[in-house]
Amino acid sequence: MKREKATTLYFGPQHPGITGNMMVRLKVEGDTIVHARTEVGYLHRAFEKLAERRNWIQTFTLMCRFCVPEPDPVEASYARAVEKVAGIEIPERAKWIRVLVLELARISSLMLWHAGQGHSLGLYTMGQWSVGDRNYILDLFEELTGGRIYHMYIWPGGVRKDFPEGFGDKVLHTMDYIEKRLDEYNDLMFNNSIFQKRTQGVGYISQEKVIERGVVGQPLRACGIKSDIRIDDPYEAYDKIKFNVPTQTGGDIWARALVRKEEIRESISIIRQVIENIPKGDVYTKLPNPQKWTIPKGDAFARTESVRGEVGMYVASDGGNKPRRVHFRGAAYVHAITLLEDVLVGANIADVSAIMNSLGTCPPEIER
Amino acid sequence: MYYDKTQDRLTEIIKNFARKHSLWILAYGTGCGAIEVPATMTSRYDAERLGVRGAATPRQADVLLITGYLTVKTLKRVIRVYEQMQDPKYVIGFGSCAINGGMYWDSYNTIKQLDLYLPVDVYISGCMPRPEAVLQGFGKLQSLIKEGKADGARKYKDELDYYRGNQQKIIKNWDFPDYNW
Amino acid sequence: MELLLEKIRDRIKVNFDLKDSKFNMNERRIDLYIDKKSISSILFYLKEQMGFKHLMHASVVDWLEEGELEVIFLLWAPKEKISVFVKTRLDRENAKMDNLDMIWPQLNTYEREFKEMYGIEFEGLEAPDEFILEDWDGPPPMRRDFDTAAFAKDVYSERTGREDAKDVRETIAKRSGEEIPDFAKKYSR
Repeated sequence: MKREKATTLYFGPQHPGITGNMMVRLKVEGDTIVHARTEVGYLHRAFEKLAERRNWIQTFTLMCRFCVPEPDPVEASYARAVEKVAGIEIPERAKWIRVLVLELARISSLMLWHAGQGHSLGLYTMGQWSVGDRNYILDLFEELTGGRIYHMYIWPGGVRKDFPEGFGDKVLHTMDYIEKRLDEYNDLMFNNSIFQKRTQGVGYISQEKVIERGVVGQPLRACGIKSDIRIDDPYEAYDKIKFNVPTQTGGDIWARALVRKEEIRESISIIRQVIENIPKGDVYTKLPNPQKWTIPKGDAFARTESVRGEVGMYVASDGGNKPRRVHFRGAAYVHAITLLEDVLVGANIADVSAIMNSLGTCPPEIER
Repeated sequence: MYYDKTQDRLTEIIKNFARKHSLWILAYGTGCGAIEVPATMTSRYDAERLGVRGAATPRQADVLLITGYLTVKTLKRVIRVYEQMQDPKYVIGFGSCAINGGMYWDSYNTIKQLDLYLPVDVYISGCMPRPEAVLQGFGKLQSLIKEGKADGARKYKDELDYYRGNQQKIIKNWDFPDYNW
Repeated sequence: MELLLEKIRDRIKVNFDLKDSKFNMNERRIDLYIDKKSISSILFYLKEQMGFKHLMHASVVDWLEEGELEVIFLLWAPKEKISVFVKTRLDRENAKMDNLDMIWPQLNTYEREFKEMYGIEFEGLEAPDEFILEDWDGPPPMRRDFDTAAFAKDVYSERTGREDAKDVRETIAKRSGEEIPDFAKKYSR
């Protein structure tokens, strides 16, 4: 049979199955993809240029808008990098509160992932359940920080405010409810034979490719390599908390989905340990007047384990009251451009959306 | 839709009643605010009781929801999508970035005033707007439709030169097809 | 700890000529300042022979006062848990470097972005022309002599009527029944 001529398809900015505002230009022969190229740049706001015009505390309000589904790991990276450059120590209670906020953000973003992965394969009920339950976690955030999505709570020096009355009991009550619901998600999505058939063997990445391309996060753990910044290079209070890091050996979409399912349970157990063992004290070290606060010359790099992998923030100062350079690197920087173009070759058109949701390609953190 | 004076009043009232209870949103997340749209559609703040659901292509959609800021690259695609939608169509500006540029007021890549490039019917303020604010915005759009004042589509057709002039000032590589209305 | 960092630094000093080096004990970090011509060989050596396998980040800082651009590579050794910052300087007028994406493939994306945002030429880089900005014909935007507020004011027009927030202050004062103090009366955007 003769090969047909390749057609160009734009899996474009306006598409019901895409994970944000980006485009993948596909060359297709029949139903198989032979070449893919990612195009980003639809969301470029020039954050790093804007950060050079604002002082150290005004920049922190820009930081949470880097990555829209999970703003807290970015705020934590910026706060830790500035504390490293300026040499500030934060109190013990602030570290434990930061762990709580980061783990709540992880659970809420993984529930949004359930919705996205279900939508990409036609399971629309999953989105209705998990986005509806995510509202309970956003209620907790609203009581603690004042906003549902953009919190602006973790700043250099600690956190902004202490817990309100009875907050610990509310958190434990919500965690019990979510743990019950996780069994129902398991029945709906993971025991579903259509989901298993459409995800096993699809989007396979081998172990050598993963190591060679510098992949981070769940795609790395689903190939059998146990690597997590919370254990390799611990920060905040993670060295005092006991938890596991789940791994699988499949390397396809099914293995990544199993890894993510286990991570929610680990996060729930971390939150329970935090509420039990949190020490008392201040939540914030006092900093000088923000209009006149200068930081001595130097630079620092701080890494955090966000929901999708390793994120890092590089901060350089020249002795003034405005940052010289703030450079953020998201996990999708590697996954969405060089890795995606490689994995899509040989796949069907119907699997593109499922592969993108499983690799975690979120365009705002690529082009900032 | 605009108050069409060639039709009689009863037909117009019935048509507006039908249109305002079935507003389908185009599935296009142009910016930050797209993260609160799934929350508005699901069980707690149910927008489907008002008739609002998602539509996959521009030919099937009624409302274009510009959720947040627009860069010049996205504006080019949004204009093309808007011109592919069919009458009656409405535009809702979501968030403070659509009103006057928001917190990116000094950025070289975002537009500052959405009104110059597309006709906007309703603005919803906030950063980001809560789902209750989104439902209130849809309620306001419904009352504008009932009175016959939601006529962005007619305004775009009548004042096309004004909008095209503004668009061509910032979009440099102009390769749009020539629609003859 | 200090012995380990010194051992690493001395082994590098034997094979390459370093301009300068610094240690940071708390963060387990070594800074190496080297010349532009030995960048690719030192990165190969650190990756293959010394175990710094993981590229955490690569960045550029613009030092306008000294007329130089500083390119920084951040590496991490997973076994010894030590990080290395490799820094080199380029001339601002004539910024050229060798292509390095045969060492780590993800450097392709970083180099495309630096070429667009700072105007650094990478010899031997194979990539399409545009990455983030479309139809941009101005100067490289991240350089410090590009004024973004003046550019935005020139090209895009803002909505009039809110040049200063006087109406907001007056509404709040009326609602809470208090006087606006003198120092707040002169604020404007």
